[in-house]
Amino acid sequence: MNFSFSKIGVAIAFSPTAEAMIIEAVRLTSLYQASLILIHVGDHGQKEEDLMNALLEKTGQKSSSIKICWERGNPAVSILKVCQQENIDLLIAGALKKEDLLHYYIGTIARKIMRKANCSFLMITNPSTAPVPYKNIVVNAEDSPYVIEAITTACQLGMKDRANWVHIVRELKMYGLTMAASDQRTEKEYDDVRQQLVKDEIDKVEELLRKIPHNQLKVNIKMISGKAGFELSKFAQRKNADLLIVGAPRRRFSIFDRIFPHDLEYIFGDMPCNLLVIHPAQEAERKEVSNG
Amino acid sequence: MGKLSHTDIVHLLVQLSVMLLMGRLLAEAARKFKQPAVIGEIIAGILLGPTILGMINPEWFNTLYPIPSDTATVLTGFVQVAVIMLLFIAGLEVDLHIVWQQGRQAVTTSLFGLIIPFALGFVFPYYFPEFFGIAEGQQRLIFALFMGTAMAITALPVIVRILMDLNIFKSRMGMLVVASAMVDDVLGWIVFSVILGMIGKQGESFSIINTILLTVGFVVFMLTIGRGLLNRVLPWVNKKMAWPGGVLSLSLALCFLGAAFTEYIGIHAIFGAFIVGVALGDSEHFSERAKEIVHQFINNIFAPLFFVSIGLRVNFITNFDPLLTLVIVIIAFAGKIIGSGMGTKLGGFSWRESFAAGFGMNARGAMEIILGLIALENGLINEKVFVSLVIMALITSMSSGPLMKWMLKK
Repeated sequence: MNFSFSKIGVAIAFSPTAEAMIIEAVRLTSLYQASLILIHVGDHGQKEEDLMNALLEKTGQKSSSIKICWERGNPAVSILKVCQQENIDLLIAGALKKEDLLHYYIGTIARKIMRKANCSFLMITNPSTAPVPYKNIVVNAEDSPYVIEAITTACQLGMKDRANWVHIVRELKMYGLTMAASDQRTEKEYDDVRQQLVKDEIDKVEELLRKIPHNQLKVNIKMISGKAGFELSKFAQRKNADLLIVGAPRRRFSIFDRIFPHDLEYIFGDMPCNLLVIHPAQEAERKEVSNG
Repeated sequence: MGKLSHTDIVHLLVQLSVMLLMGRLLAEAARKFKQPAVIGEIIAGILLGPTILGMINPEWFNTLYPIPSDTATVLTGFVQVAVIMLLFIAGLEVDLHIVWQQGRQAVTTSLFGLIIPFALGFVFPYYFPEFFGIAEGQQRLIFALFMGTAMAITALPVIVRILMDLNIFKSRMGMLVVASAMVDDVLGWIVFSVILGMIGKQGESFSIINTILLTVGFVVFMLTIGRGLLNRVLPWVNKKMAWPGGVLSLSLALCFLGAAFTEYIGIHAIFGAFIVGVALGDSEHFSERAKEIVHQFINNIFAPLFFVSIGLRVNFITNFDPLLTLVIVIIAFAGKIIGSGMGTKLGGFSWRESFAAGFGMNARGAMEIILGLIALENGLINEKVFVSLVIMALITSMSSGPLMKWMLKK
């Protein structure tokens, strides 16, 4: 499986975390040998140019080697528009771990990006001016058309950053077993079915892993049961993960999904750590266009 | 509090143990033939009731289950609690996450699986009421609405078991079928509650608008504010109270409270239990383990009491009308297979897969029997229709697995 990022965009506001965001983005850009684009939404005059140059100087970057997109209007919409125009395949932005109730339902810039992005994005909850490699990566091996890309990214990053662990998490639908087997099987049969279910799911993950290079990487395959998304978030917290990677959902989430949260909406609502959502659709679309 | 006599207590305990033992024995026999336990439990009731024991030795039957008596009243209470609990776990089984996950597709598929059987089930009784034992004008509309609902409902546990046996439970098709069955069940029970509200209690009937408002209002409240409150209380209960005692007591207390509330406002008690089950089961803090315990406890103790009791009430031979049964079975098969089949086809599956899903969704199982019994108790259907519905529920449950397997192997 060959999946990588060649153009990385970073959403920048002149906030106290701006410097850290650029440094985090530069680290990933060099890991993937990608090009970097800065996106700023707001006023654009000499003052902003000077601020940006100062920021780049502070982070050790040359303004001549980095493309800067100055945009006006709705921040989330403008950022996503640039991503599409510039064919960005990974957008990096800062996000609060958790929004207050009102902002959760209204949706902040970061949450709007999470729910509407058409490319992969990395939400950094606590950017640092001295970023450290990811040591504990959790990846969801469930319910996404991009599950292979998600695991591939986890393994790539794990190898590049020499991570201690990559935890591959898959959901076990105990729900079905409870309903289907509780009054139909003996205790032994019930245990056998349960073990077989676990084995089947592990086999499926191992089959996916066979297609993905993960040399010298410590991989832990973990089965969880319960509400998907919620349990994944709890697992990432338990493991003190520094990065959670998931495939983008099949469809875009709306306000309805916030009222009845499920799957990734739990994670969007309360991020357990940095969140990388893999959405290679744009790349696929581009390939289709270039192939005529 | 009233008191039962010493003899009555002994009598009641013997009744309960005979029901549980016979229910278990025949459920095991059903299991040997890879059939759901409910089939064995219904047969146990038929053997113990007026159909077989009452016919062979009426004296024994009247000694074991005398009607009227104090023990009969208490037993009816037990059965009433059992049916409320059964609807509570039916609600717990509705995993709204699966429905939201499938999104619009689940709604489209389920609407086809609901509207077509409902329409077929409605049209025939509405235009041929005499055939179904309903005199012209006498609650014809309500009866037709009920028959439509009875045809639209599905047996989620049976479907899940078949999908797991076929190893397609977690597949895209499996999840779509399960999500659609859940939507069908929720909508089916809402419609049924409205119908029951239309009949009213003790001659008092609500206007249809009031009934719909009350029913929908209760659902919306429980799935939004009620669910939110549960999400705040459950983590505290899990953390501070003994496990699983705390969560079990709370869940059953809420189940009875919800049931009492809906009964009080004129919708049947079962609906409250069902919606509380849906809200509780939807909470991420209600663990799978807790769900499993509630499931085991109710399914293995209260469910047999309920299903065995059905055979004790109705004579399945004198009330068996072969033609009526055949018509009901045909309407049931046609409605679900065509409706759910078309709905699944719209989900992008092949015709073969779509019909396989239709066969799976055709299983009516325990839910149909509960629905039928409540309709019988409320004077909505006669015993002949009830027996036909029970037979239809058994035939559809027994045939759905083999038919689905056959269709997928083709």
